[in-house]
Amino acid sequence: MTLLIQRLLDGLFNGSIYAALAVAIAISHRATGRVNLAQGEIGLFGGYLALAMASPAASFVAGAALFSNLPGHPFHLWISTLLAVIVAAVLAVALQRALMRDFDESTPQRALNRSIALLICVSAVISSQWGTRGRIFGELFPSGSNDFVSVFGARLRYTTIGAWVVVIIACGLVTLFLSKTKAGLSFRALTDNRASSVLVGIQPKKLMAIGWGISGALAALAASLAASMSLLDSSLMFRTLIYSLAAVTLGGFDSLRGAVIGGIIVAQAQTLIPGYLGLPTEMSIVAALIVLITVLVFRPWGLFGQRPVERV
Amino acid sequence: MSNQVLSCENVTASYGAIQALHGVNLEVNEGEIVVVLGANGAGKTTTLRAICNMVATEGTVMLNGRDISKADTADIVNAGVAHVPQGRGTFAALTVLENLEVGAYTRTDDEVQSDIEMWFEKYPVLGERRTQAAGSLSGGEQQMLAVARAAMSRPTMMLLDEPSLGLAPLIIEDLFQTFAQLNKEQGTSMLLVEQNANLALEIADRGYLLETGEITGSGSAEELRNDPAVQAAYLGA
Repeated sequence: MTLLIQRLLDGLFNGSIYAALAVAIAISHRATGRVNLAQGEIGLFGGYLALAMASPAASFVAGAALFSNLPGHPFHLWISTLLAVIVAAVLAVALQRALMRDFDESTPQRALNRSIALLICVSAVISSQWGTRGRIFGELFPSGSNDFVSVFGARLRYTTIGAWVVVIIACGLVTLFLSKTKAGLSFRALTDNRASSVLVGIQPKKLMAIGWGISGALAALAASLAASMSLLDSSLMFRTLIYSLAAVTLGGFDSLRGAVIGGIIVAQAQTLIPGYLGLPTEMSIVAALIVLITVLVFRPWGLFGQRPVERV
Repeated sequence: MSNQVLSCENVTASYGAIQALHGVNLEVNEGEIVVVLGANGAGKTTTLRAICNMVATEGTVMLNGRDISKADTADIVNAGVAHVPQGRGTFAALTVLENLEVGAYTRTDDEVQSDIEMWFEKYPVLGERRTQAAGSLSGGEQQMLAVARAAMSRPTMMLLDEPSLGLAPLIIEDLFQTFAQLNKEQGTSMLLVEQNANLALEIADRGYLLETGEITGSGSAEELRNDPAVQAAYLGA
């Protein structure tokens, strides 16, 4: 019993990462009607920026030492992470404006090809700039051997709690934007009915850029959280992307709640299925893909997505 | 012709290789309701889509003296055109209230709330369901919502694409009264595309006949009602 609880709690941390990237994918999908496969890499770029800003090499930034927690480090890791999240959002907007202006009007194949090309390009830039070996990112939350709360004898680590607090705050801000602002209302209108939203004067191009911006920020957050738990390496977000795509497929491409719940389920499948079947951990990605394919066969619109209705 | 709100000069439109309009000429003057009558496939919907630049178009479309032939659809809406598309085009996942709010997207004045209340008074059923998703409304209620939403932008020119389609006769009559009322009270000019010629000619000032992508006739509502050819083709006389 304790083992089951421990496995569930261990899965929760990954669940927060998958949830964050899944929400990012869902938001840009809502804005453009297309999946952006480069989402994870844009986030990873943000993660590397956060590390670069927090590392001694960046200490030339004047006055920045004030915010530092370590001697020689210009920025506290949290501050550099927040800055990187903002930069990733700006970068995503710029990429959208420059390369993807007609993203939603182009055919699905062309849009897909372009996002794959972008994925490869961003990945190449990251590898050439920072190399491929793993780097220590640093701790965003206390992660010593005693930093946990006990739940029925199992350990719920502070990092897991902290990651979820961050992800819930981020998703809460996105939800507030969507439900309380005029731009958020027009964003939801665009998702609901693109043709009609143009007819009330909404300009999809503006909203598509905003959608990419929000996604870029969330993806950078996901990358930083993931890196703080393990290492920052050039393939970190590619693995995460696979799981998050499974999560967003499971939850439904247009549902934020679905993306979060999908992230949790996929992460649990990733730990529970290999754990109980005695499979090597390398097989855990197969568990995610089994979830993905099962959903696509039996409920292609996802658990929380809207079943497409065709009027005849 | 100084008070002309909308004019189409030699407007053609095509879907890929298929040409749907072969040089349409029509005009709507300030405060007029103009009806375009035509059979299925005559190009009625395409005419409205061409005005909003939602289809590949050539020719000149003028709105209040400004050439809008090449403008973006969103710009054209900003310039005062409201288009109620066939099939209503409400936002199914948004609430009734949100549909009206987003209808006022182009407005910056502070009378949006009072306009919404005005519509809830006019159509109490919408007021009762203000927090319900628009997708849960009946066909008639959705059409009311579509018209109210379009009117929320305070347009100078309304394009109505077969608003009577698939609705019960009583609801259609109610709807057409709303058009007449909007036209009278707010001076909104209207271009109405219809197969229901009887009702349309009752509220219209003038009309055009559209056949296979060309205007084949025009006249005052009175003239069209008494035209034997129109009676045979559209009025079932």
